[in-house]
Amino acid sequence: MAGLPIAAGIGLRSPHVGEILARRPPIPWLEVHSENYFVDGGPALASLVRVRNDYPVSLHGVGMSLGSVDPLDPSHLAKLRRLIDRIQPAAVSEHLCWSSAGGRHFNDLLPLPYTDEALAHVCARVDAVQEAIGRSLMVENISAYVAFDDDTMTEAEFVAAVARTTGCQLLLDVNNVFVNASNHGFDADAFIGAMPPENVAEIHLAGFDASGPCLIDTHGTPVAAEVWALFARTIDRLGPRPTLIEWDTDIPALAVLEREASTAQAILAAHNAESR
Amino acid sequence: MPSLAELQLDFAGALTGRAGAGVAFPEDRFAIYRRTGIANYRNAMSATYSVVEQLVGGPFFRAAVDAYTLAHPSVSGDLNVYGGRFGDFLAMYALATRLPYLPDVARLEWAIDESSRAADVSRVPEAVLAALSLVPAERLPAMRLDLDPSCRMLASAWPVLQIWLFHQSDRAEGRAVDLQAGGETILLRRDATGVSMEAIARGDHAWLAALAAGETLGDAIDAAMASDSTFDLGAALRAHIATGTLVAVHAA
Repeated sequence: MAGLPIAAGIGLRSPHVGEILARRPPIPWLEVHSENYFVDGGPALASLVRVRNDYPVSLHGVGMSLGSVDPLDPSHLAKLRRLIDRIQPAAVSEHLCWSSAGGRHFNDLLPLPYTDEALAHVCARVDAVQEAIGRSLMVENISAYVAFDDDTMTEAEFVAAVARTTGCQLLLDVNNVFVNASNHGFDADAFIGAMPPENVAEIHLAGFDASGPCLIDTHGTPVAAEVWALFARTIDRLGPRPTLIEWDTDIPALAVLEREASTAQAILAAHNAESR
Repeated sequence: MPSLAELQLDFAGALTGRAGAGVAFPEDRFAIYRRTGIANYRNAMSATYSVVEQLVGGPFFRAAVDAYTLAHPSVSGDLNVYGGRFGDFLAMYALATRLPYLPDVARLEWAIDESSRAADVSRVPEAVLAALSLVPAERLPAMRLDLDPSCRMLASAWPVLQIWLFHQSDRAEGRAVDLQAGGETILLRRDATGVSMEAIARGDHAWLAALAAGETLGDAIDAAMASDSTFDLGAALRAHIATGTLVAVHAA
């Protein structure tokens, strides 16, 4: 199974699907939210199948509730597996978070406490999901606005331990690292340095909102200058990785996303030139 | 130290404002999660129920969605399947009664949503007609017919399809909806380009609804005649096979 190309792709959202199919722009790969294609059939899925004919596609989940104490939803896993069979994605990812409690879903990426209990639970769930979908899962660090008093390790230690314990790949969201470093007062570069390099298989970049009581991960603005700088240092440290531009609210023209991806591509290429 | 389960239940309780739920987070930061939660459901429901939103306006719509979310919390990680009972909810939501057709508009929008993500099926009207012609006459009453999985039906006391069409951005100018025009029975079906809708006769509706429920052709005919004594079986079979509403024949 082919993996993601080591190049800068774009998160594909429904307003841009028609343009992608009509214009077939030279974007190296695309990522979609898995749940948007948990359908039995219809035009949206048919379009994704056509996109997949021309582009590597990554399936990025937002609703698995990986870290919840509630049982994994068998129908959710079955729909993901069916979509994997249909699309043959280059990667499958989910978030290191929880979304449901006591049977109620919040449809949001809620933060985990960084404790031994949570670590053991998440690792067991990653194993269970990988078993259920029959392939490896990539897990992503999230943005958080609060932290638990009971944390017994740092977020970086937690994320690295999930990767080392389960062998799963990491989707390193550099924007989320920046947001959390600002919100919780840690060193973003130290976080990146704590990631096991061989596990980092994808990088996300997005924009945040700085108008609230802390930085909020809105995916609704261009990538911030500080995040571009952190991304460049990340690539210097880890080497080039498949990188994705995400934009989910106030979605702009596709050309804007293509320009953001070009900026990321230039940083990936600059590293390649230097290391030659 | 509280367990992971206790932490998550406490967090969840604080998100939903349950009395006594204790989380020691700064309120301005925790409020980000409350706001995001509310916005996620408003956005999802706005995408599904755009005509309802146009009919009642943004502030009323958001208040109705917030009340619906409290009454019917999400139970799935797939937000695309959230909101299926909004029509029934609006029927009970006292403030909505000024627009008596509002619940049916919501039911129509949910039917469109369901139809758009239903399973694909191959439609070969000639093959269905050929299969039908092979069924001996004495076995016709016991046979069953399958509807395209994307078919949905809605019977309303209001001209609900006209109301829906009036609120589409590509509608023809002029022609206000006559709310006294009477009810409509609507058949939805999805083809390659999207969901199409047509008004059908009451007898056809009763007949198709019985077939969709898995009843035999004989029982479906009885249901159709009970609803409309002018129901014409031959015409209904020809029309609904030709359009691809009926996609398979099962002899008894």
